[in-house]
Amino acid sequence: MWQKKAVMGPSSDKVNPGGIRLWHVILSVTVVGLVALFYKGLWGNPSFIPPVTVNTVAPGFTAPSLHEARQISLTEHQGKVVVLNFWASWCLECKVEHASLLAMVKRYEDNDKFIMIGVNYQDELTAARAYLEEHGNNFHHVQDVDGRIAIDYGVYGVPETFVIDQKGIIRHKEMGPMVGGRYAYVIEKVIEPLLMEKPVVS
Amino acid sequence: MRPLIFVLLIGSLVSVGAYTSTAITEAQIQTQVKEVAKTLRCAVCQSESVWESNAKLAIQMRDIIREKIIAGESPDAIRDYFVGRYGDFILLSPRALGLNWILWIGPVLFLGVGGILLYHVLKRWTSPVAMPPPVDESDRERIEDAMHSIRR
Repeated sequence: MWQKKAVMGPSSDKVNPGGIRLWHVILSVTVVGLVALFYKGLWGNPSFIPPVTVNTVAPGFTAPSLHEARQISLTEHQGKVVVLNFWASWCLECKVEHASLLAMVKRYEDNDKFIMIGVNYQDELTAARAYLEEHGNNFHHVQDVDGRIAIDYGVYGVPETFVIDQKGIIRHKEMGPMVGGRYAYVIEKVIEPLLMEKPVVS
Repeated sequence: MRPLIFVLLIGSLVSVGAYTSTAITEAQIQTQVKEVAKTLRCAVCQSESVWESNAKLAIQMRDIIREKIIAGESPDAIRDYFVGRYGDFILLSPRALGLNWILWIGPVLFLGVGGILLYHVLKRWTSPVAMPPPVDESDRERIEDAMHSIRR
């Protein structure tokens, strides 16, 4: 047995002397793949939730107005581009974005195909009203004290803004304050193209 | 008098029965709310389930789960409702769908492949080392001469 091995040994080495084997390739690809995956994971935000509601039908709602003794529903604005902004008086980033919201409404004040609705999220009504008194207001708001509308839209932090097209489909979700470059992006790349679209006659 | 007592007795039995049946239902609701809420991630917390968290959003989500259970929706349908709004992120254990399969079979696969590789490597290490062929007398003399010439 030993003798046989001794004779076979050197000749069997000649089959693939120091060459690349299949398992070398598999192992290298796996290691490189894992390292790339972990590296990518280093830079990701673990609390970021991908916007899965984009391109789905906007959930309908009927909720009490923040200022008036009436209900406001999404369906009454069907056929318009609706910008739905979730905010709260306790939210610091909402204050940062507030001027942008006022500017956006002012920009489209003569366009009856555009409307902005504020959704006051997990807030106290008096605090919310005082906030608008202080920072200015030029659009309607609904109350969402128990967060029902927000959960229906997959909101997990404020501010979050949804752009809904004339057919009632969510076309864009903006997470965080809509200021500077983000404000310009939403106007130029989302709202303007939607307003240019011809209304669907059904 | 007797029929009245009989009616009262039956009435009290029925009411006790009704009471216990609602109590059981309430307990069942709680169990089901817990079952669903434990599988959902609290979207505003770190690694906490909707059941454990006291964040406002988690409390509101539990209320919604409760209402949906009372309305007769199945736990899977309720989970689907939240997945439709927040994506797979909301599930504490990702579903075995699409690329997620890698998460489930990956460790088993790596363990299997690693085991096979280890087996082969260990087998090679423990296999008898190839011995050089025996040297005959004339070769030995040549080698010794060569070694002498080197040493000189």
